[in-house]
Amino acid sequence: MKFDLDAVFVEHGCAGSALATRILGALARDVPVTHVADNDTREATRPAPGARDPFGAGKRRLVIARRKTPFLAPCPAGSSEFACCGYLVLTLASNCPMDCSYCFLQEFLADNPSFQVYANFADSFDELDRLAANARGRIFRVGTGDLADSLAFDSITSISRDLIDFFASRENLTLELKTKTDEIENLLAMDPRGRVLVSWTLSPDAVYRSSEHLAAPPAARIAAARAVLDAGYRVAFHFDPLIAYPGAERDYILLIDELLDTVAPKQISFISMGGLRMTPGLRGAARSRFPDDPMLCGEDVLASDGRFRTFTPLRLSLYRALADRFRKGGAEIPSYLCMEPASVHESVFGAPPVRPAIIGKRLARD
Amino acid sequence: MNADEIDAQIRMLAAERRLPPSHLARWLAMDAASRAALLDIARVIRLRTGQLMTALDTLEEIAVREHVTVAAILDRPEIRRIAGGPGSAPSRASALLEALRTLRYPLLKRMQEQIRSEISALKLPRGISIVLPKELASDEFTVSLRVRSAAELAHLLEALDRSRPGLARIIEMLAGKK
Repeated sequence: MKFDLDAVFVEHGCAGSALATRILGALARDVPVTHVADNDTREATRPAPGARDPFGAGKRRLVIARRKTPFLAPCPAGSSEFACCGYLVLTLASNCPMDCSYCFLQEFLADNPSFQVYANFADSFDELDRLAANARGRIFRVGTGDLADSLAFDSITSISRDLIDFFASRENLTLELKTKTDEIENLLAMDPRGRVLVSWTLSPDAVYRSSEHLAAPPAARIAAARAVLDAGYRVAFHFDPLIAYPGAERDYILLIDELLDTVAPKQISFISMGGLRMTPGLRGAARSRFPDDPMLCGEDVLASDGRFRTFTPLRLSLYRALADRFRKGGAEIPSYLCMEPASVHESVFGAPPVRPAIIGKRLARD
Repeated sequence: MNADEIDAQIRMLAAERRLPPSHLARWLAMDAASRAALLDIARVIRLRTGQLMTALDTLEEIAVREHVTVAAILDRPEIRRIAGGPGSAPSRASALLEALRTLRYPLLKRMQEQIRSEISALKLPRGISIVLPKELASDEFTVSLRVRSAAELAHLLEALDRSRPGLARIIEMLAGKK
Protein backbone atom coordinates (compact mmCIF):
# COMPACT_ATOMS: atom_id res chain seq x y z
CA MET A 1 0.00 0.00 0.00
CA LYS A 2 1.21 3.47 -0.73
CA PHE A 3 0.70 6.19 1.83
CA ASP A 4 1.84 9.78 1.45
CA LEU A 5 4.37 11.20 3.88
CA ASP A 6 4.98 14.93 4.30
CA ALA A 7 8.14 14.66 6.39
CA VAL A 8 10.47 12.26 8.18
CA PHE A 9 12.31 12.98 11.42
CA VAL A 10 15.19 10.79 12.59
CA GLU A 11 16.75 10.87 16.05
CA HIS A 12 20.54 11.28 15.69
CA GLY A 13 21.17 8.08 17.62
CA CYS A 14 18.97 6.12 15.21
CA ALA A 15 20.41 7.53 11.99
CA GLY A 16 22.64 4.53 11.36
CA SER A 17 20.16 1.93 12.52
CA ALA A 18 19.06 -0.85 10.22
CA LEU A 19 15.46 0.37 10.39
CA ALA A 20 16.32 3.99 9.48
CA THR A 21 18.51 2.78 6.62
CA ARG A 22 15.68 0.63 5.26
CA ILE A 23 13.08 3.36 5.58
CA LEU A 24 15.18 6.16 4.12
CA GLY A 25 16.20 3.88 1.26
CA ALA A 26 12.60 3.08 0.43
CA LEU A 27 11.19 6.61 0.67
CA ALA A 28 10.38 8.85 -2.24
CA ARG A 29 13.21 11.35 -2.82
CA ASP A 30 11.02 14.42 -2.34
CA VAL A 31 10.10 13.64 1.27
CA PRO A 32 12.17 15.99 3.48
CA VAL A 33 14.26 14.22 6.15
CA THR A 34 15.27 16.09 9.30
CA HIS A 35 17.66 14.83 11.96
CA VAL A 36 16.80 15.77 15.52
CA ALA A 37 18.74 15.46 18.76
CA ASP A 38 18.21 12.33 20.82
CA ASN A 39 15.35 12.69 23.28
CA ASP A 40 14.19 15.76 21.39
CA THR A 41 11.44 14.37 19.22
CA ARG A 42 8.69 16.13 21.14
CA GLU A 43 8.33 18.88 18.54
CA ALA A 44 8.11 16.30 15.76
CA THR A 45 5.56 14.10 17.46
CA ARG A 46 3.19 16.73 18.85
CA PRO A 47 0.21 18.03 16.87
CA ALA A 48 1.25 20.47 14.12
CA PRO A 49 0.38 23.98 15.29
CA GLY A 50 -2.20 25.64 13.08
CA ALA A 51 -3.09 22.47 11.19
CA ARG A 52 -6.78 22.24 10.34
CA ASP A 53 -6.68 18.54 11.22
CA PRO A 54 -3.67 18.02 13.52
CA PHE A 55 -4.34 14.31 13.96
CA GLY A 56 -4.60 13.72 10.23
CA ALA A 57 -1.43 15.77 9.64
CA GLY A 58 0.40 13.69 12.25
CA LYS A 59 -0.27 10.54 10.28
CA ARG A 60 1.81 11.91 7.40
CA ARG A 61 4.85 12.69 9.59
CA LEU A 62 7.12 9.73 10.27
CA VAL A 63 9.40 9.80 13.29
CA ILE A 64 12.15 7.22 13.71
CA ALA A 65 13.12 7.17 17.36
CA ARG A 66 14.33 4.96 20.15
CA ARG A 67 11.66 3.54 22.45
CA LYS A 68 12.61 4.16 26.06
CA THR A 69 9.82 2.23 27.73
CA PRO A 70 9.07 -1.51 27.56
CA PHE A 71 7.69 -2.84 24.29
CA LEU A 72 5.62 -5.61 25.81
CA ALA A 73 2.48 -5.06 27.90
CA PRO A 74 -0.83 -6.75 28.66
CA CYS A 75 -3.61 -5.69 26.33
CA PRO A 76 -4.92 -2.34 27.65
CA ALA A 77 -8.50 -3.41 26.95
CA GLY A 78 -8.23 -5.95 29.77
CA SER A 79 -10.08 -5.04 32.95
CA SER A 80 -11.95 -6.80 35.71
CA GLU A 81 -15.23 -5.71 34.04
CA PHE A 82 -14.58 -7.64 30.86
CA ALA A 83 -13.82 -11.21 29.84
CA CYS A 84 -10.18 -11.21 28.74
CA CYS A 85 -8.58 -13.12 25.83
CA GLY A 86 -5.06 -13.12 27.29
CA TYR A 87 -3.59 -11.04 24.47
CA LEU A 88 -0.23 -9.31 24.92
CA VAL A 89 0.72 -6.24 22.92
CA LEU A 90 4.11 -5.43 21.50
CA THR A 91 4.33 -1.73 20.64
CA LEU A 92 6.77 -1.34 17.76
CA ALA A 93 5.04 1.68 16.24
CA SER A 94 2.48 4.28 17.15
CA ASN A 95 -0.35 5.55 14.93
CA CYS A 96 -1.43 4.33 11.55
CA PRO A 97 -1.44 5.78 8.04
CA MET A 98 -5.01 4.62 7.48
CA ASP A 99 -7.74 6.86 8.83
CA CYS A 100 -10.74 4.96 10.15
CA SER A 101 -13.38 7.35 11.42
CA TYR A 102 -14.06 5.26 14.53
CA CYS A 103 -10.41 4.68 15.49
CA PHE A 104 -9.61 5.06 19.20
CA LEU A 105 -6.20 6.50 18.36
CA GLN A 106 -7.90 9.81 17.53
CA GLU A 107 -8.32 10.29 21.27
CA PHE A 108 -5.47 8.16 22.57
CA LEU A 109 -2.77 9.80 20.44
CA ALA A 110 -4.30 13.27 20.18
CA ASP A 111 -1.26 14.81 21.87
CA ASN A 112 1.37 12.92 19.87
CA PRO A 113 -0.17 11.96 16.58
CA SER A 114 2.97 11.53 14.47
CA PHE A 115 3.59 8.09 13.09
CA GLN A 116 6.47 6.76 15.20
CA VAL A 117 8.49 3.64 14.58
CA TYR A 118 11.07 2.44 17.05
CA ALA A 119 14.54 1.82 15.67
CA ASN A 120 15.49 -0.35 18.66
CA PHE A 121 12.52 -2.68 18.05
CA ALA A 122 14.83 -5.72 18.24
CA ASP A 123 15.25 -5.00 21.98
CA SER A 124 11.71 -6.31 22.31
CA PHE A 125 13.02 -9.79 21.54
CA ASP A 126 14.87 -9.83 24.88
CA GLU A 127 11.64 -8.93 26.64
CA LEU A 128 9.84 -11.75 24.85
CA ASP A 129 12.55 -14.27 25.70
CA ARG A 130 12.41 -13.24 29.36
CA LEU A 131 8.62 -13.65 29.34
CA ALA A 132 8.87 -17.12 27.82
CA ALA A 133 11.64 -18.19 30.18
CA ASN A 134 9.71 -17.03 33.25
CA ALA A 135 6.56 -18.94 32.32
CA ARG A 136 7.66 -22.23 30.85
CA GLY A 137 4.79 -24.35 29.62
CA ARG A 138 2.56 -21.37 28.93
CA ILE A 139 1.82 -20.20 25.43
CA PHE A 140 1.47 -16.52 24.72
CA ARG A 141 -0.24 -14.72 21.86
CA VAL A 142 1.61 -11.49 21.19
CA GLY A 143 0.40 -8.91 18.71
CA THR A 144 1.76 -5.73 17.18
CA GLY A 145 -1.59 -4.32 16.09
CA ASP A 146 -2.66 -2.27 19.07
CA LEU A 147 -1.31 1.26 18.54
CA ALA A 148 -0.55 0.65 14.87
CA ASP A 149 -1.56 -1.57 12.01
CA SER A 150 0.93 -4.46 11.95
CA LEU A 151 1.57 -4.30 8.20
CA ALA A 152 0.60 -0.84 6.95
CA PHE A 153 4.18 0.37 6.49
CA ASP A 154 5.78 -3.02 6.10
CA SER A 155 6.85 -2.28 2.53
CA ILE A 156 9.26 0.36 3.85
CA THR A 157 10.11 -1.04 7.31
CA SER A 158 10.15 -4.82 6.63
CA ILE A 159 9.81 -5.31 10.40
CA SER A 160 7.59 -8.31 9.72
CA ARG A 161 10.61 -10.24 8.44
CA ASP A 162 12.53 -9.75 11.70
CA LEU A 163 9.47 -10.64 13.74
CA ILE A 164 8.65 -13.79 11.79
CA ASP A 165 12.27 -14.86 11.94
CA PHE A 166 12.24 -14.49 15.73
CA PHE A 167 8.84 -16.05 16.45
CA ALA A 168 9.36 -18.98 14.07
CA SER A 169 12.02 -20.28 16.42
CA ARG A 170 10.09 -19.77 19.70
CA GLU A 171 7.92 -22.68 20.75
CA ASN A 172 5.69 -20.98 23.29
CA LEU A 173 5.17 -17.65 21.54
CA THR A 174 2.69 -16.94 18.76
CA LEU A 175 2.87 -13.69 16.85
CA GLU A 176 -0.37 -12.06 15.72
CA LEU A 177 -0.03 -9.53 12.91
CA LYS A 178 -3.28 -7.58 12.84
CA THR A 179 -4.11 -5.51 9.77
CA LYS A 180 -6.64 -3.90 7.47
CA THR A 181 -4.25 -3.95 4.53
CA ASP A 182 -3.25 -6.48 1.90
CA GLU A 183 0.43 -5.71 2.45
CA ILE A 184 1.68 -9.31 2.54
CA GLU A 185 4.66 -9.40 0.17
CA ASN A 186 7.22 -9.78 2.96
CA LEU A 187 5.16 -12.50 4.61
CA LEU A 188 5.01 -14.59 1.48
CA ALA A 189 8.80 -14.70 1.40
CA MET A 190 9.12 -16.16 4.92
CA ASP A 191 8.48 -19.51 6.61
CA PRO A 192 6.51 -18.89 9.80
CA ARG A 193 6.72 -22.53 10.94
CA GLY A 194 3.15 -22.35 12.23
CA ARG A 195 3.96 -19.71 14.82
CA VAL A 196 2.60 -16.66 13.10
CA LEU A 197 -1.02 -15.78 12.82
CA VAL A 198 -2.23 -13.00 10.56
CA SER A 199 -5.56 -11.48 11.46
CA TRP A 200 -7.77 -9.11 9.55
CA THR A 201 -10.36 -6.73 10.82
CA LEU A 202 -13.31 -7.28 8.52
CA SER A 203 -16.20 -4.94 7.87
CA PRO A 204 -18.93 -4.93 5.25
CA ASP A 205 -18.45 -2.77 2.18
CA ALA A 206 -20.80 -0.14 3.61
CA VAL A 207 -18.54 0.38 6.63
CA TYR A 208 -15.38 0.23 4.52
CA ARG A 209 -16.66 2.88 2.12
CA SER A 210 -18.03 5.14 4.82
CA SER A 211 -15.42 4.80 7.55
CA GLU A 212 -12.22 2.92 6.70
CA HIS A 213 -10.28 5.49 4.71
CA LEU A 214 -7.15 4.19 2.94
CA ALA A 215 -7.71 0.62 4.17
CA ALA A 216 -7.82 -2.26 1.69
CA PRO A 217 -11.30 -3.24 0.47
CA PRO A 218 -12.80 -6.18 2.40
CA ALA A 219 -12.50 -8.49 -0.62
CA ALA A 220 -8.79 -7.68 -0.89
CA ARG A 221 -8.31 -8.48 2.82
CA ILE A 222 -10.01 -11.85 2.36
CA ALA A 223 -7.90 -12.60 -0.72
CA ALA A 224 -4.76 -11.70 1.24
CA ALA A 225 -5.86 -14.06 4.02
CA ARG A 226 -6.19 -16.88 1.50
CA ALA A 227 -2.71 -16.12 0.17
CA VAL A 228 -0.98 -16.16 3.58
CA LEU A 229 -2.89 -19.28 4.57
CA ASP A 230 -1.50 -21.01 1.50
CA ALA A 231 1.96 -19.77 2.51
CA GLY A 232 1.81 -21.53 5.89
CA TYR A 233 0.38 -18.85 8.16
CA ARG A 234 -2.61 -19.23 10.41
CA VAL A 235 -5.42 -16.73 10.00
CA ALA A 236 -8.02 -15.12 12.23
CA PHE A 237 -10.65 -12.43 11.81
CA HIS A 238 -11.85 -9.57 13.97
CA PHE A 239 -15.36 -8.26 13.48
CA ASP A 240 -14.51 -5.28 15.58
CA PRO A 241 -15.91 -2.72 15.59
CA LEU A 242 -19.21 -4.30 14.78
CA ILE A 243 -21.42 -1.42 13.69
CA ALA A 244 -25.19 -1.71 14.00
CA TYR A 245 -26.30 0.44 11.07
CA PRO A 246 -29.60 -0.26 9.24
CA GLY A 247 -29.08 -3.43 7.22
CA ALA A 248 -25.99 -4.41 9.22
CA GLU A 249 -27.06 -7.96 10.02
CA ARG A 250 -27.69 -8.79 6.36
CA ASP A 251 -24.38 -7.19 5.29
CA TYR A 252 -22.29 -8.93 7.98
CA ILE A 253 -23.82 -12.29 7.08
CA LEU A 254 -23.02 -11.72 3.40
CA LEU A 255 -19.49 -10.83 4.43
CA ILE A 256 -19.16 -14.02 6.47
CA ASP A 257 -20.46 -16.04 3.52
CA GLU A 258 -17.89 -14.36 1.28
CA LEU A 259 -15.17 -15.17 3.82
CA LEU A 260 -16.21 -18.81 4.24
CA ASP A 261 -16.33 -19.24 0.47
CA THR A 262 -12.63 -18.37 0.42
CA VAL A 263 -11.37 -19.65 3.78
CA ALA A 264 -12.87 -22.85 5.16
CA PRO A 265 -14.11 -22.59 8.77
CA LYS A 266 -11.64 -25.22 9.98
CA GLN A 267 -8.79 -23.07 8.65
CA ILE A 268 -9.79 -20.11 10.80
CA SER A 269 -7.89 -20.03 14.10
CA PHE A 270 -10.41 -17.79 15.82
CA ILE A 271 -12.81 -14.95 15.37
CA SER A 272 -13.44 -12.04 17.67
CA MET A 273 -16.30 -9.59 17.81
CA GLY A 274 -16.63 -6.27 19.56
CA GLY A 275 -19.35 -3.67 19.22
CA LEU A 276 -18.40 -0.11 18.35
CA ARG A 277 -17.56 1.61 21.61
CA MET A 278 -16.49 5.18 22.07
CA THR A 279 -15.65 7.30 25.07
CA PRO A 280 -17.36 10.69 24.96
CA GLY A 281 -13.97 12.20 24.06
CA LEU A 282 -13.44 9.85 21.15
CA ARG A 283 -17.01 10.31 19.95
CA GLY A 284 -16.52 14.07 19.87
CA ALA A 285 -13.15 13.83 18.12
CA ALA A 286 -14.40 11.32 15.55
CA ARG A 287 -17.55 13.24 14.74
CA SER A 288 -15.68 16.47 14.39
CA ARG A 289 -13.21 14.87 11.93
CA PHE A 290 -15.88 12.89 10.06
CA PRO A 291 -19.13 14.84 10.45
CA ASP A 292 -20.82 13.10 7.52
CA ASP A 293 -20.15 9.49 8.51
CA PRO A 294 -23.46 7.80 9.37
CA MET A 295 -21.60 4.93 11.02
CA LEU A 296 -20.74 7.32 13.86
CA CYS A 297 -24.43 8.11 14.43
CA GLY A 298 -25.72 4.69 15.41
CA GLU A 299 -28.22 3.99 18.18
CA ASP A 300 -25.53 4.31 20.83
CA VAL A 301 -26.19 5.04 24.49
CA LEU A 302 -23.91 5.69 27.44
CA ALA A 303 -23.09 2.35 29.06
CA SER A 304 -21.95 1.70 32.61
CA ASP A 305 -18.28 1.63 31.55
CA GLY A 306 -18.52 5.25 30.42
CA ARG A 307 -18.47 4.41 26.71
CA PHE A 308 -21.15 4.92 24.12
CA ARG A 309 -22.27 1.55 22.80
CA THR A 310 -25.16 0.33 20.67
CA PHE A 311 -28.07 -0.27 23.06
CA THR A 312 -27.77 -3.76 24.50
CA PRO A 313 -30.54 -5.82 22.83
CA LEU A 314 -29.52 -4.64 19.36
CA ARG A 315 -25.80 -5.21 20.05
CA LEU A 316 -26.36 -8.69 21.44
CA SER A 317 -28.69 -9.72 18.64
CA LEU A 318 -26.03 -8.74 16.10
CA TYR A 319 -23.34 -10.73 17.96
CA ARG A 320 -25.68 -13.72 18.05
CA ALA A 321 -26.53 -13.48 14.34
CA LEU A 322 -22.83 -13.56 13.43
CA ALA A 323 -22.02 -16.35 15.88
CA ASP A 324 -24.92 -18.41 14.49
CA ARG A 325 -23.73 -17.90 10.94
CA PHE A 326 -20.25 -19.14 11.82
CA ARG A 327 -21.75 -22.09 13.68
CA LYS A 328 -23.83 -22.97 10.62
CA GLY A 329 -20.61 -22.73 8.59
CA GLY A 330 -19.84 -26.18 9.83
CA ALA A 331 -16.94 -25.93 12.23
CA GLU A 332 -16.63 -24.75 15.81
CA ILE A 333 -14.36 -21.75 15.49
CA PRO A 334 -12.92 -20.47 18.79
CA SER A 335 -14.56 -17.12 19.38
CA TYR A 336 -14.43 -14.34 21.90
CA LEU A 337 -15.95 -10.94 22.49
CA CYS A 338 -13.67 -7.96 23.05
CA MET A 339 -14.47 -5.62 25.94
CA GLU A 340 -17.69 -7.30 26.93
CA PRO A 341 -18.53 -8.77 30.34
CA ALA A 342 -18.72 -12.51 30.93
CA SER A 343 -22.53 -12.30 31.10
CA VAL A 344 -22.71 -11.07 27.51
CA HIS A 345 -20.29 -13.78 26.40
CA GLU A 346 -22.54 -16.38 28.02
CA SER A 347 -25.68 -14.89 26.48
CA VAL A 348 -24.16 -14.92 22.98
CA PHE A 349 -22.24 -18.19 22.98
CA GLY A 350 -24.28 -20.11 25.53
CA ALA A 351 -21.29 -20.69 27.80
CA PRO A 352 -19.19 -18.53 30.09
CA PRO A 353 -15.77 -17.48 28.82
CA VAL A 354 -12.84 -19.58 29.97
CA ARG A 355 -10.05 -18.08 32.07
CA PRO A 356 -7.73 -15.61 30.26
CA ALA A 357 -4.67 -17.89 30.44
CA ILE A 358 -6.61 -20.78 28.92
CA ILE A 359 -8.32 -18.77 26.23
CA GLY A 360 -5.00 -17.10 25.37
CA LYS A 361 -3.36 -20.48 25.02
CA ARG A 362 -6.24 -21.85 22.96
CA LEU A 363 -6.28 -18.88 20.63
CA ALA A 364 -2.52 -19.05 20.26
CA ARG A 365 -2.34 -22.67 19.28
CA ASP A 366 -5.68 -24.04 18.06
CA MET B 1 -36.61 37.05 4.06
CA ASN B 2 -33.46 36.60 2.04
CA ALA B 3 -30.52 34.48 3.23
CA ASP B 4 -28.67 37.42 4.79
CA GLU B 5 -31.74 38.46 6.74
CA ILE B 6 -32.26 34.91 7.96
CA ASP B 7 -28.63 34.70 9.10
CA ALA B 8 -29.00 38.02 10.89
CA GLN B 9 -32.09 36.71 12.68
CA ILE B 10 -30.26 33.50 13.61
CA ARG B 11 -27.37 35.51 15.05
CA MET B 12 -29.81 37.65 17.00
CA LEU B 13 -31.62 34.64 18.46
CA ALA B 14 -28.29 32.95 19.25
CA ALA B 15 -27.15 36.08 21.09
CA GLU B 16 -30.42 36.25 23.04
CA ARG B 17 -30.13 32.59 23.99
CA ARG B 18 -26.35 32.73 24.51
CA LEU B 19 -25.94 29.81 22.18
CA PRO B 20 -22.32 28.54 22.19
CA PRO B 21 -20.36 29.80 19.16
CA SER B 22 -19.71 26.24 17.94
CA HIS B 23 -23.45 25.56 17.76
CA LEU B 24 -24.11 28.87 16.02
CA ALA B 25 -21.39 28.05 13.48
CA ARG B 26 -22.95 24.66 12.78
CA TRP B 27 -26.39 26.24 12.38
CA LEU B 28 -25.04 28.80 9.93
CA ALA B 29 -23.24 26.05 8.03
CA MET B 30 -26.55 24.33 7.16
CA ASP B 31 -28.20 24.78 3.79
CA ALA B 32 -30.44 27.86 3.49
CA ALA B 33 -33.74 26.00 3.81
CA SER B 34 -32.55 24.16 6.94
CA ARG B 35 -31.25 27.35 8.57
CA ALA B 36 -34.60 29.00 8.04
CA ALA B 37 -36.67 25.99 9.14
CA LEU B 38 -34.77 25.67 12.42
CA LEU B 39 -35.07 29.41 13.04
CA ASP B 40 -38.79 29.19 12.45
CA ILE B 41 -39.43 26.34 14.87
CA ALA B 42 -37.04 27.75 17.50
CA ARG B 43 -39.10 30.92 17.54
CA VAL B 44 -42.54 29.34 17.33
CA ILE B 45 -42.05 27.06 20.30
CA ARG B 46 -39.51 29.30 22.03
CA LEU B 47 -36.74 26.77 22.51
CA ARG B 48 -34.49 27.56 25.46
CA THR B 49 -30.70 27.40 25.10
CA GLY B 50 -30.27 23.78 26.16
CA GLN B 51 -33.27 22.71 24.10
CA LEU B 52 -31.95 24.51 21.05
CA MET B 53 -28.55 22.85 21.45
CA THR B 54 -30.14 19.41 21.86
CA ALA B 55 -32.43 19.97 18.87
CA LEU B 56 -29.51 21.08 16.73
CA ASP B 57 -27.35 18.09 17.76
CA THR B 58 -30.17 15.61 17.23
CA LEU B 59 -31.26 17.10 13.92
CA GLU B 60 -27.70 16.95 12.60
CA GLU B 61 -27.38 13.31 13.62
CA ILE B 62 -30.70 12.35 12.00
CA ALA B 63 -29.65 14.20 8.85
CA VAL B 64 -26.37 12.25 8.71
CA ARG B 65 -28.06 8.92 9.46
CA GLU B 66 -30.80 9.35 6.89
CA HIS B 67 -28.95 11.43 4.26
CA VAL B 68 -31.60 14.14 4.40
CA THR B 69 -31.58 17.85 5.20
CA VAL B 70 -32.65 19.36 8.50
CA ALA B 71 -35.40 21.18 6.62
CA ALA B 72 -36.78 17.86 5.36
CA ILE B 73 -36.83 16.47 8.91
CA LEU B 74 -38.62 19.53 10.29
CA ASP B 75 -41.15 19.25 7.47
CA ARG B 76 -42.31 15.79 8.54
CA PRO B 77 -45.96 15.57 9.64
CA GLU B 78 -45.18 14.50 13.22
CA ILE B 79 -42.91 17.51 13.67
CA ARG B 80 -45.26 19.94 11.95
CA ARG B 81 -48.09 18.75 14.19
CA ILE B 82 -46.04 19.64 17.26
CA ALA B 83 -44.91 23.00 15.91
CA GLY B 84 -48.40 24.04 14.87
CA GLY B 85 -50.35 22.20 17.53
CA PRO B 86 -52.03 23.31 20.72
CA GLY B 87 -50.40 23.47 24.12
CA SER B 88 -47.91 25.73 25.81
CA ALA B 89 -44.56 26.50 24.25
CA PRO B 90 -42.66 24.52 26.95
CA SER B 91 -44.82 21.42 26.44
CA ARG B 92 -44.41 21.63 22.67
CA ALA B 93 -40.66 22.09 23.11
CA SER B 94 -40.52 18.89 25.18
CA ALA B 95 -42.68 17.08 22.64
CA LEU B 96 -40.41 18.25 19.82
CA LEU B 97 -37.28 16.93 21.53
CA GLU B 98 -39.01 13.63 22.26
CA ALA B 99 -40.14 13.31 18.63
CA LEU B 100 -36.64 14.06 17.41
CA ARG B 101 -35.23 11.48 19.78
CA THR B 102 -37.65 8.90 18.39
CA LEU B 103 -36.40 9.67 14.89
CA ARG B 104 -32.79 9.50 16.06
CA TYR B 105 -33.18 6.22 17.99
CA PRO B 106 -36.00 4.37 16.16
CA LEU B 107 -35.11 0.81 17.17
CA LEU B 108 -34.35 1.74 20.76
CA LYS B 109 -37.67 3.54 21.10
CA ARG B 110 -39.57 0.62 19.55
CA MET B 111 -37.84 -1.87 21.82
CA GLN B 112 -38.54 0.25 24.91
CA GLU B 113 -42.22 0.41 23.97
CA GLN B 114 -42.40 -3.34 23.39
CA ILE B 115 -40.80 -4.10 26.75
CA ARG B 116 -43.02 -1.59 28.54
CA SER B 117 -46.12 -3.12 27.03
CA GLU B 118 -44.85 -6.55 28.06
CA ILE B 119 -44.49 -5.24 31.63
CA SER B 120 -48.00 -3.73 31.58
CA ALA B 121 -49.43 -7.03 30.36
CA LEU B 122 -48.04 -8.72 33.48
CA LYS B 123 -50.54 -6.70 35.55
CA LEU B 124 -48.26 -6.89 38.54
CA PRO B 125 -49.78 -5.82 41.85
CA ARG B 126 -48.81 -2.54 43.47
CA GLY B 127 -45.77 -3.25 45.56
CA ILE B 128 -43.85 -4.84 42.71
CA SER B 129 -41.94 -2.53 40.43
CA ILE B 130 -39.74 -3.27 37.47
CA VAL B 131 -37.08 -0.80 36.50
CA LEU B 132 -35.55 -1.17 33.07
CA PRO B 133 -31.93 -0.20 32.44
CA LYS B 134 -31.66 3.42 31.34
CA GLU B 135 -31.81 3.53 27.55
CA LEU B 136 -31.44 -0.24 27.52
CA ALA B 137 -27.72 0.23 28.08
CA SER B 138 -27.51 -3.09 29.88
CA ASP B 139 -29.23 -6.49 29.87
CA GLU B 140 -30.11 -6.27 33.56
CA PHE B 141 -33.36 -5.04 35.02
CA THR B 142 -34.38 -4.53 38.61
CA VAL B 143 -37.42 -6.05 40.30
CA SER B 144 -38.27 -4.56 43.66
CA LEU B 145 -40.86 -5.53 46.23
CA ARG B 146 -42.29 -3.11 48.75
CA VAL B 147 -43.91 -4.88 51.69
CA ARG B 148 -44.93 -4.30 55.30
CA SER B 149 -46.01 -7.77 56.35
CA ALA B 150 -45.29 -11.43 55.77
CA ALA B 151 -48.71 -11.82 54.15
CA GLU B 152 -48.00 -9.00 51.73
CA LEU B 153 -44.64 -10.57 50.90
CA ALA B 154 -46.25 -13.95 50.25
CA HIS B 155 -48.85 -12.30 48.01
CA LEU B 156 -46.21 -10.47 45.96
CA LEU B 157 -44.00 -13.53 45.65
CA GLU B 158 -46.94 -15.55 44.38
CA ALA B 159 -47.71 -12.84 41.85
CA LEU B 160 -44.10 -12.81 40.75
CA ASP B 161 -44.10 -16.57 40.41
CA ARG B 162 -47.20 -16.41 38.22
CA SER B 163 -45.45 -13.81 36.07
CA ARG B 164 -42.40 -15.94 35.53
CA PRO B 165 -43.02 -16.63 31.81
CA GLY B 166 -43.58 -12.93 31.12
CA LEU B 167 -40.48 -11.95 33.08
CA ALA B 168 -38.50 -14.55 31.14
CA ARG B 169 -39.72 -12.93 27.91
CA ILE B 170 -38.46 -9.56 29.14
CA ILE B 171 -35.08 -11.08 29.97
CA GLU B 172 -34.91 -12.51 26.46
CA MET B 173 -35.88 -9.18 24.91
CA LEU B 174 -33.15 -7.37 26.86
CA ALA B 175 -30.67 -9.97 25.66
CA GLY B 176 -31.70 -9.34 22.06
CA LYS B 177 -33.27 -12.77 21.63
CA LYS B 178 -36.70 -11.51 20.52
